[in-house]
Amino acid sequence: MLTQPTTELLLRGIARDLSEQIAPDLQSESAKVALGMIVQLLNGCATRTAHEIAWMHEEADAIMAAVSPIDDPATVTAVQAFRAAPDDLHHDGAARRYHLASEALAAAVEHAYATSDDALIATLRDLLQSRSAHEMEVVGTLELVGRG
Amino acid sequence: MHNPSEMPARLASFLALNEPDVDHIEVTSYEPMTGGYSRILAKAETVWTRAGTRTTRTFVVRGDPPADKALIITDRGQEFAVLRAVEGAVSVSRAHYLDATGEHLGTPALVLDHVDAASLLPHMAGRDDAANADLARPLAEAAAAFHTIPLDALPPELARPANWDAYIADRIDEWRRTAHAHVESMPILRYVAAWLDAHRPPPVELALVHGDFQSANLMRADDGRLVVLDWELAQIGDPREDIGYFKAVATAAPPDVTALDEAAFYGRYRELTGMTEEQINPAIAAYFLILGVIGTVRRLVEGGAAYAKGENTSIGSAFSLSSVMFGQSMWMAGCAQLEMVFDAAKSAAGGAS
Repeated sequence: MLTQPTTELLLRGIARDLSEQIAPDLQSESAKVALGMIVQLLNGCATRTAHEIAWMHEEADAIMAAVSPIDDPATVTAVQAFRAAPDDLHHDGAARRYHLASEALAAAVEHAYATSDDALIATLRDLLQSRSAHEMEVVGTLELVGRG
Repeated sequence: MHNPSEMPARLASFLALNEPDVDHIEVTSYEPMTGGYSRILAKAETVWTRAGTRTTRTFVVRGDPPADKALIITDRGQEFAVLRAVEGAVSVSRAHYLDATGEHLGTPALVLDHVDAASLLPHMAGRDDAANADLARPLAEAAAAFHTIPLDALPPELARPANWDAYIADRIDEWRRTAHAHVESMPILRYVAAWLDAHRPPPVELALVHGDFQSANLMRADDGRLVVLDWELAQIGDPREDIGYFKAVATAAPPDVTALDEAAFYGRYRELTGMTEEQINPAIAAYFLILGVIGTVRRLVEGGAAYAKGENTSIGSAFSLSSVMFGQSMWMAGCAQLEMVFDAAKSAAGGAS
């Protein structure tokens, strides 16, 4: 299979062509709004295709390192579910594993607040901020097209 | 409404049905409008003939999109009832007619007065922050106008929470429910719920909450009053949610008028609502910046989930998840900043006692 140009490059090229060559010729306001959304989504897809599977694995590994020692039934159950899921580089499998890791993180957060464990809250908050930083790379500069 | 070419005839028939004393009503133009994501809008010019006298009237028709394009599901009948209830107290686009089932206009829809006023966003975009600061006081007045309407004057369609504690607990829990209902885990929503629960503010009286109070839903009349549009998400709740929500949207699409002149905004709002400084101040507003967005967030997340499951083909639903991700970064940062403010206030109170 040919991997060049990359999927990321192709998606960014399509987004650019839509913005520069198609958008100026549109007359309909609703079509312009839809195209504005599509261009932003395509750029987000470009970032995702370049990094998403790696990010999911990295975040899941970091979550497991932090939450595995926690003695809380909900967290323990979530960790066990994660460990039972096969490691997978295909998207569906990777997303399933990431979902299970995220459930373990959520359970740990609720346990940390229920027990007022400030140190654990701080650790888990760092993991959530790392997740959010990746999301913001996907979002890029959010433009609320069509409002106002 | 889904077929604009049919609409002049459909709308003329609908208006005639509601105005039997008018001899003839003609729709002379019907133009789809942009301006909102959730409903389809159109501007209609009409000519009315009554006892030989011709008058012109301009309306906005606001209806539901096709089911598979619906970003959120709301009730036009409830929106109509709310608009009729608030119109004496708040500057709104007057609601004249309701097609609750869509049998006349092809989709459930309202027919509203077209407001001859400037949209607030472009009005603000042409001015600097110093000039826009003069909007802080009218913004406080616009919010207070519907936050002080007695609950018994509001339509019965709006659910009445038992009390503030039950309401706020349920509102916080909505973050958890939204996370649990989604197609994948959303740990940031569950973190926010835990944080909100641990930092509850002082209670206030429940009131009418607009639910989508943002600059894009405001217009500025010639006399300086702000006209409040788009009441589809109205409910009874904690009124501070609207202020928090306004700040949330303004963070993504500046300016935040409440922050341009905090003394004017909060001072006028307290004066009109009777709230104390402990009950509403910039830090409490920031708490509600986070809490108050959950109603909209839930609907956006539901739309995104429907898209993910192939139940919805609206590109807007997929796009809206970008707003949710943007929001998650704001809520994380907001919780951290507020925690410092609340801790400092607690320390100061401890030191003073």
